[in-house]
Order: sequence, then C-alpha cells, then structure tokens
Amino acid sequence: MHLRTPSPHKLIYGIIFLFLVYFILLPVVSIVFYGISSSDSLFFTTKGFQNSFIHLRHSLSVAIIVTIMATVLGLILAFTLHRMAFAGKRVLKALVLLPFINPPFVGSIAYIMLFGKRGLITHQLLGLTISPFGMRGIVTVQVLGLTALAYLLISSAIQKTDISLEEAARTMGASEGKVLLTVTLPMMAPEIAGTALLVFLASMSDFSTPLIIGGSYQTLASNLYIQITGLYDMQSAALSGIILLLPCFMAFWLHKYHLSKRSYFSDDTTASAIVNRTLPRHLKGMMIGISTLYLTFLLGQYLFIVLGALTKQWGYDYTFSLAHFQSLKGTQIKPFINSFKLASATALFASGTGVFLAYLLKLHRPKFATAADLFATLPAAVPGILFGIGYLVTFRYPILGIGKFWLTPLPSIVLLGTKAIVYLICIARFMNIGLRAGYALLEHVHPDIENASYNLGAGQARTFFSIMLPQMKSAFFASFLRSFSDGMVTLGAIILLIIPSNKVAVQQIFTVVKSNASGDAAAIALLLSFMTLIFLGFYYLLFNFRDVIKRLKAPFKKEVNA
Amino acid sequence: MKRKLLLVVLAISAFLMIACSSSNTPAEQTADSTPANTTEAAQSSSESTAADTSADTTQDTAADTDAGWHSDYYNAEAMKDITLNMYGVTDTIIPVLEQFTADTGIKVENLTMQNGEILQRLINESTAGTPIADIWFTGGADTFISAAQQGLLHAYDAPEGAVLDDIMKDPDGYWYGTSLTLVNWVVNTALIDEYGLKMPETWDDLLQEGLKGEVSMSDPASSGTAYNTISAILQVRGEEEGWAYLDQLIGQVPYFTARGSDPANNVVAGEAIVGINASNGDRELEENNANIKLVYPKDGTGWWPQPVAIVEGTQNLDAAKVFIDWMLSKKGMQTLADVRYAAVARDDISIPDGIVDIKTIQLFPVDFQANAANRESILLEWQSHLPQ
Repeated sequence: MHLRTPSPHKLIYGIIFLFLVYFILLPVVSIVFYGISSSDSLFFTTKGFQNSFIHLRHSLSVAIIVTIMATVLGLILAFTLHRMAFAGKRVLKALVLLPFINPPFVGSIAYIMLFGKRGLITHQLLGLTISPFGMRGIVTVQVLGLTALAYLLISSAIQKTDISLEEAARTMGASEGKVLLTVTLPMMAPEIAGTALLVFLASMSDFSTPLIIGGSYQTLASNLYIQITGLYDMQSAALSGIILLLPCFMAFWLHKYHLSKRSYFSDDTTASAIVNRTLPRHLKGMMIGISTLYLTFLLGQYLFIVLGALTKQWGYDYTFSLAHFQSLKGTQIKPFINSFKLASATALFASGTGVFLAYLLKLHRPKFATAADLFATLPAAVPGILFGIGYLVTFRYPILGIGKFWLTPLPSIVLLGTKAIVYLICIARFMNIGLRAGYALLEHVHPDIENASYNLGAGQARTFFSIMLPQMKSAFFASFLRSFSDGMVTLGAIILLIIPSNKVAVQQIFTVVKSNASGDAAAIALLLSFMTLIFLGFYYLLFNFRDVIKRLKAPFKKEVNA
Repeated sequence: MKRKLLLVVLAISAFLMIACSSSNTPAEQTADSTPANTTEAAQSSSESTAADTSADTTQDTAADTDAGWHSDYYNAEAMKDITLNMYGVTDTIIPVLEQFTADTGIKVENLTMQNGEILQRLINESTAGTPIADIWFTGGADTFISAAQQGLLHAYDAPEGAVLDDIMKDPDGYWYGTSLTLVNWVVNTALIDEYGLKMPETWDDLLQEGLKGEVSMSDPASSGTAYNTISAILQVRGEEEGWAYLDQLIGQVPYFTARGSDPANNVVAGEAIVGINASNGDRELEENNANIKLVYPKDGTGWWPQPVAIVEGTQNLDAAKVFIDWMLSKKGMQTLADVRYAAVARDDISIPDGIVDIKTIQLFPVDFQANAANRESILLEWQSHLPQ
C-alpha cells in the first residue's frame, strides 16, 4: 500500500519532524542532562534521595488506586449509558462531561468544605471531626475528575466492539454474565488497559490537587512545584523529575508497544445504538444506581461551587450575596482574553498538524515514521510541570536552545521570555490529541481511496483537498474541541514560562485560591468554566454548521410536507 | 462540502489574525530580543487612551497642590509608551500600580508568583541574558537579599530612601522597604468558643492543651512566613530556650503546610483553630469572615520589610528609577496605605481606618542579614527537631 507522496507533503513532514525534535525531544533530554549535571545538589544527600522515594511511593499509591477506581467506574458508566435503556439517560450523558469544563482547583476546596473537619456533610450532618487532608482527599477528587476521562475513552471502544460475537455467544446459550466476562470484556481489554494507563499518567502528573488537599501527603509532581517555588532548588526538582519520568515512561511504553498492538475491532461496526435487553434486573439496577450516584456527586460538587460563589462566606455563612461577583470587577479582563487566544490558536495548530501527521504516517509511511510517532506522543507521558522545566532549561539559551554551544558572539535570540514559548509548548503538548484522533479515524479509511483518486486522473492538490481533507475533518474537529477545553485550563506546563503581558486566567485563579478568598476563587473559576462552555458551543456550531441548520429546518419542513 | 470547509478554515484564521494582531507573530518575537518592545506593542490602543485620560484628570488636580512625588529621571514625553514588567507576590497592589500609571503615564504589567519562583526566574533570565522583569515589588526581604548577593538587582541611590530607617533598606541601595509584613495569628473564634479555649495572646498560649493538632503553620523550608517566625523566636529567646519552645510548638502542629498562605485558609475553613500567618497590616480577613479574628501576639511578633527593587539588566532603567522614586515618595506611600491598608515604611503618612496602628504592635528586633545568612543551618537544625 505504498503511495506516491506529493512533494509539498514531504516538505511539511520535514518541518513537523524538526518541530518534534526541537520542541519535544530536546526539552525532555535536557531535563535529564540538567538533572544529572548538578553534582552539588542537595538531592544527593541521603535525605534528598529518601524524600524523593517517599514522594514516589505516595504518587504511585494514589495513581494506582485512582486508576483502578476511575477505570472501573468509567466502564460501568460507559456500559450503563451506551448499552441500557432507561429514563433520563440523555441527562446523565450530558452530566458526565461536566469535568471537562470543571472550574479548576476549586473542586478541592469544595471537598474540604464538604468533608473536612468542620465540613458540611462530615461535621454538620454526621457529627464527625476528621481531617480531609491526605491521600483520601486526593484520591476522591482525582477519581471524580478522571472517571469522566475513562468514560469518554471506553465509550469510543464500546461503540466499536463487534456485537455479532456477543450475539453468537448468546445464541449458543451463554448467560449474560458469561457473555460479559468471556466475550465483551476480553474484546475491549486493550482499550480498557489503554484507558487505565492514560488515567494513571494523568494522576501522576496532577500537581495542584495534592498541593491543595494533600496536607503532609505530597506527591512527586506537587513536590516538584514546592521545590522550585519554596526551596528555590530547580536542580533537585529536575532530579526528582527524572524519578517521576521512570514510571510514566514505563506506562507509556506498555501502552504504546504492547497493548495498542492487539486490536479486535471489526472495521465497519457502529454499534452505538445497541441496547441490551436481556440483562438481569438487579444487575441493571445496580449499574444504573452506581452511575447515578457518581453523577450526583459530580453535580453536587459543581452546585456546591456555585453556592460558594453566591454566598457570603463559603463554608461558614451561607447567606446569599453577590459580593464575590462584584469583586470580579477588579479582576483584569486581559488574562481571560489571553487564555482564549492561547487555547484557540494552539488547538488550531496542534489539531491541524496532529491529524495531518497521522495521515502522513499511516498512509504514506515516510522516513523515520516510527521516530516521528514516538516523539509526537511522548508529551502524553511527561507531566506538564516537568515539560515546563524542560523548556525552561533548554530555551534560556540562544537560537532554540542549542546556541549555548555555538554562535556565541551573535546577538542572542532567546525563546524564554517571549510570548511564543507558551504557544509552542501547548502545541507540542496537544499535538498527540490530534494524532490519536487521526489514527482512530484512519482505521476506517481505506488506503486505496487516495490511489483511486490518482487513477481517476485527479492531481495531487485535488486529491488532497477534495478527497483526504474532508475525510479527516471530523478527527480535526474532535481534537480541536478537546485541545481547546484543555488549553483553557492548562497550568502545569506554562506556569514557569508565562510573562507579565500574557498571563492567563488559570494562573489568576491559582493565585486567588492561595490568597484566602475561596468565594472569589469560586466565582472567577466559574466564570472561566462558563466561558469555556460558551466557546466550545460556538466552535461546535461553527464545525457542524450544516447539520445544525438542517436540524433547525427539519420541523419546519415536516410541517410543509404535511 | 469543500467550500463550506474552506469557509470554516478561513473564518477561524481570520478570527485568529484579529485576535493575534495586537501581539506580535511568533517569528517577530523571536527576532526581537528586547522584552520591553514586545510588551509595548502588546498594549492595545484602547488601554492606553484610558490610562491617558485618567492621567490627565489626576495631574490637573495634583498640579494645584504639591504632586507629592518627584523624580529626576522623569520625562513625561519620552516615557508615555513605556511598559514596565513587574514581578510580585500579590495581586492586591494592582490599584497602587494603576495610580502610578495615572500619575506618570508609565504602564505596569505585573505577574504574581511565589517568592522562590521569582528568584528562580530572575536567575534563569540572567543566565539567558534576557531579563523580562524591570522591577520587583512585594515579597520577603530574604529573597531580595539573596538576589542582591547573586548580582540580580540593580543598585539605585534613591533620594527619597534617606527618610527610611536603616533596617528598612539595603545599605547599598539594592532594595528599599515600602511597607511592613507582620506575622500574626488568624484565629477561628467560633471554634475557640465551641471548645472553651483561652483566646491566645502570647506565644506561650499557643501551647495550651486544647490547641493540640489545631495550630496550623507552614513549613519554614518552603515558606518565608514560617522561616521568619522561627528565626525571630530564636533571636529573641536565645538558641537554647528558643529551640525548647519550638519543640513544644511542633507538637501542636498536625502537619506543616507547603505554602505560607495555607494556614489562614485552613483556619477560615475550620480545619485549624489558630494559623500562623503573615499580613501587611490590613484587617480584610476579619472583615470578610465573621468567625475570624486577627491577633498580634502581645509579647512580640516577627516582621519584615516588603521591598521594591530594580532588576539588573532592565532595558527601562530610567522608568524603573521613576517607579522607585514614586513608590518611596509621600504620594506613593499614601496610595499604598490607602488602597492596600498596608503599614507603610514612612512615618509622615496619615494612617487610614481599617489598618492596625504599627505603634501598638510589639515587634521583635530582627536581623535580616543574619536571617538570610543562617538560613541553611537553621533549617537543618529544624529538620532534626521534627518527629521522625
């Protein structure tokens, strides 16, 4: 299936490849070099080592528990919402996406207010006085957020499973339980494992949750942040970063070269509308129950944040007050505009290049395809804050980071301290979303379609623009929306790189969260999540313009016909 | 289909072009290594007109009386397009910066971070040879001292600096204290009543039985508030008695928080009863939270100056000097006192309501240079006193 590769494609591929090497491989390698080149670091005292391993143990314990819980919950949710028929399903399907526009950080504060020593539920309702800080808190908050991610990934797997195998098992007399355990789940195993690993990576790299509710229980990622901001010690941070990279790379390697290779999907099933009617009543009830419980928690947390923004003193005095929204007037508007610009521009570039790269790698197999694929997906395994450190230590030197070694007499062109670096790191981080969306889509596109176009006499440009581009459009849109909502709330990667003139809204919220004004933090965070929602809606309409118009016209048309 | 898609792509790119037109394209930025120019261009025109009009009105009124500030380096015409980049630890000084812009026409963009992050950034930017920040305002004196020693600050012999006490400024002019940061206790009075405890007034009151596990304090290794507190206690009580007291205090604290602002958050949320906190003298926490009272210990408390400094290598040296002159002037200090309710470094300022009178507070005598110099040895000793 080797295709002719048009020369503009080759040129673009070359540019993308260079980008990958410079802005992904180089920073990651830099962290390692920077870390091990620091012989006088405090880290090399036994205490430093000891501490890092305590934090590693914390990180792993949290990540493993969160991974198991979130994946199981995500699986139950996916089955319930995709394979069962019950009233109110549509509402639940919308609710489960809440975490994607969740106001950042304040979820953790809400948890303290609800389940803390003097929390609304634990203390006022149940009369308990228990500390919310520590592992329990981190796990709860992360499970609430990451289950949605697990659900989203598993749903796409469920929609692709071949239902005819299940039917076959059923006709041969297997019970529902047996079908589930011996047919359905094994068929989905690679996707489930892949989901689990992505959840694992997300949990490992989360630094803000442990920082806010970890108490003395800090993880490697949050400790990295403390080492830089509190202890002024970036070299130790880079060294513990290397320790953090090890399990992440291992998970990444497992995912990439072992699990994703096995695939049981049939090429052309779209089983989204399958409803399982034969499930035993109690099992069905239980699954709907668990799903509803989870979503109630999620909604409860959200509403509680709204409550916090609208009352006098969150956690103590629940008298209605608009004071927090009034104090928003003092908030500068510019960070919000910066956030929006950053999220839109990086989503556009990252998704565009990601999807295009997927197309090139999958259908044209250019030189170094394996390397390009590896580099592009690498950021998924590198925790954001560590990637930020990598950029910091690489791009403080002139000419894209390598000028340290040559060109020293020339006037320095340093990326650090420009607005561009924040855009570049976001594009580098989000490109793998586009790449994965592209791969998933191309599973269903026959490679010969391009050859067919050539054989019918279409030119290179025409083939690309009228045959391939429309095919890949949906992957681009999906990836764009995902990158956009991620970009609006991303902090870890950029926190060390932003400059005064392009500070973003999330950073503002992070500062307010620290400044003893949780009600204000709730208000400003809600504003950001509301803004994200509006723009997601706007982009969705833009992308699906035709469908929406059609749907709007539909009832009208019917009337005419009748 | 094709046309629709093209339309969408065009619409997005047109939109992004508009959105990005106020900033430079990445290529231009890379070529342009002076950060001052970059931010200059980033300023939208609407913003500058707004600043201009407000500048006019205030200057008119100020012209009648005494403007309250003066700088030898000020040149209104040459400086009206300058934007100063500033690092600091709090957003609450934004109104002060706005007043500065109104008075001088010089715009200020601030980025709020933690002390250590600022120091780390200045080191990186100095290594890279591209300083981003022009000025650094607010933070702990120890980080300013450390930065001055590493050659990251620019010495300026400010004329207005003469009126400040010696302890409020660097002898070589690397930094000047603008206001005081005071260590105080954030106390949850609802819980004090509920448990029938004695309202703490002295440091020894923190050791009462009922407060076991209820005192919140940050980790001195990562928080300036806690470090200044313990070093002040050691200086006042002497090594032996000081550590004996700290041993007992450590027993009252369930865990040491990562950031200096956490203890106050914990007390407000009811997670602890007393939190060791730092404030600039304002009463905001009390005013916004009915169950909170701020206490200044009767037997003395830790404090440090809240400095302002010029970053070495700034491209806007004259404008930065104007900022220092303005900040240290009567006008600047009065603004700081009025909008931020801060206990300022000058004593010829009228103190607004809602601010603690610094004269009623017992301050520990503190040696900041020694604080900065002994940091590592004190922290090492501290480690050995923690329960293993």
